[in-house]
Amino acid sequence: MFNIKSASENSIIIYFGDQMSPDLIEKISFYCQLLTDKLADVIIDIVPSYTSLLISYKLNLINNEDVCDRIEKYLLSHDIDTVESRSKLIEIPVYYDCDVGLDLEELLSEKQLSLEEFIAIHSSKEYLVYTIGFSPAFAFLGEVDERIRKNRLPSPRIEIPAGSVGIADNQTAVYPINSSGGWNIIGRSPLDFSLDNPDNLKHFSVGDSIRFLPIDKDEYLALGGIA
Amino acid sequence: MSFNVIKSGFLSLVEDYGRFGLAQYGLSQAGVADEHAYCWANHLLDNHFNDAVLEITFGGCELKALSDASIAVTGADLGFKINDKMQPLWQVINVSAGDSLSWSEANSGVRAYLAVKGGFQATEFFNSRSVNLREQIGSKLVEGDEISFKATRSETDHHAMPSHFLPDYEQDVTLRLLPTYQFDQFDQQQKEVFFNQRYTISNAYDRTGCRLEGKPIKESQSRMISEGISYGSVEITTEGFPIILLKDSPTIGGYPKIGTVFSLDLAKLAQRQIGTKVSFELMDIEIAQQKRRAFNAFFAIK
Repeated sequence: MFNIKSASENSIIIYFGDQMSPDLIEKISFYCQLLTDKLADVIIDIVPSYTSLLISYKLNLINNEDVCDRIEKYLLSHDIDTVESRSKLIEIPVYYDCDVGLDLEELLSEKQLSLEEFIAIHSSKEYLVYTIGFSPAFAFLGEVDERIRKNRLPSPRIEIPAGSVGIADNQTAVYPINSSGGWNIIGRSPLDFSLDNPDNLKHFSVGDSIRFLPIDKDEYLALGGIA
Repeated sequence: MSFNVIKSGFLSLVEDYGRFGLAQYGLSQAGVADEHAYCWANHLLDNHFNDAVLEITFGGCELKALSDASIAVTGADLGFKINDKMQPLWQVINVSAGDSLSWSEANSGVRAYLAVKGGFQATEFFNSRSVNLREQIGSKLVEGDEISFKATRSETDHHAMPSHFLPDYEQDVTLRLLPTYQFDQFDQQQKEVFFNQRYTISNAYDRTGCRLEGKPIKESQSRMISEGISYGSVEITTEGFPIILLKDSPTIGGYPKIGTVFSLDLAKLAQRQIGTKVSFELMDIEIAQQKRRAFNAFFAIK
């Protein structure tokens, strides 16, 4: 069912399983919302990720034993189907091209795919946000079709431009800001995901669904993309 | 009311107690590296526990007061002077417009804290004034900056910390470790290697994490599914070396964790130089909770 362990003097981590799956992340997203509401008086932070939920709490108000008791009570008395999910569907336009997709050419030749076939595979799927981290608003999306999976680069690039869309094994993601990173870059979104716009911080939440919309170069430039 | 930055120093950052409530969107806790010195600085000035201070790492910093102010400098002894005259740490000092404040020699410790009555009024990002360079939130001080503050001089000056609280930053340090996360997945032999040695602080040491050198833990589990990281988590890398995750650490990580360092011991670590010896001993969570609760009560931390 679930298993609670300490994570520090004022935090605990709840494990709900040991393998990532769409069902499990839906469940974790649901429990994340539930516990955020139910523990509102004592919670500091909550971090959902693949198979677990990390919760830090106000030590001045509650101790380890009592917070665990409350969590157990809420988890056992609420079934995932009883509350409507707050998860949303987000569409992200992507210009898939070797101009901006630094690793696209190599991926196409390795996977023996045409650009059109590759775009169809990557963009036909609805992805789920499994976790957010590495940097703010960096959402780990899964799962990538087996035909286009590729491991991270042997050593990370020093700088990947903001908006770049990458693949690492069974996951895909958009880099919100210029940063170093080892994902295989396949295209770029013209949208601004940076924290220059503070609303972008909450662009993605764990459990949200993401769809990539292929756009051509003209649309990419018209939307503010940099070639 | 403000200070003008004459020399920025190696790394001088505005920090407060930290950034909370947004970790699920990937924002680190950030905030001061040494909570002990920080809390004393604000406490001496009767400031709020979350008031922003200047965290001065290794010195090289010089400020000019553009107005009168009450200040307290705590933490590392970086040769703090006013108008070229040595000044005491850990107590309230009144400065006058035109005074020059400087930190020019690394005598003991790593980070000095400059608090001012009323707190620094740097821009807030996501409910906190803490700079996090890794996340590109805020920026370090540069020459010519003005850092403003709210209050004028306080009348309750000369508050000083009782000397028995004075920390010694030169000693080797034993960090108390709570058995958390994957503690049970490390076998007896691996734990013996971990607890029975003195590690050395490597040069891979910043506000994000502290990597230790020593005898590696053999056959540690390699990567695992990433999960939420708490402040002080001790990851064991694939090569078997510990990394202690600190205030600017990412919110998730994928190495197994042998435990979590008690938060108040991380304040001690924050003042240790590269090359200092570090060892670990187990601590009970109930005791850690009691000690942290007492610290919070003393400094009115909500």
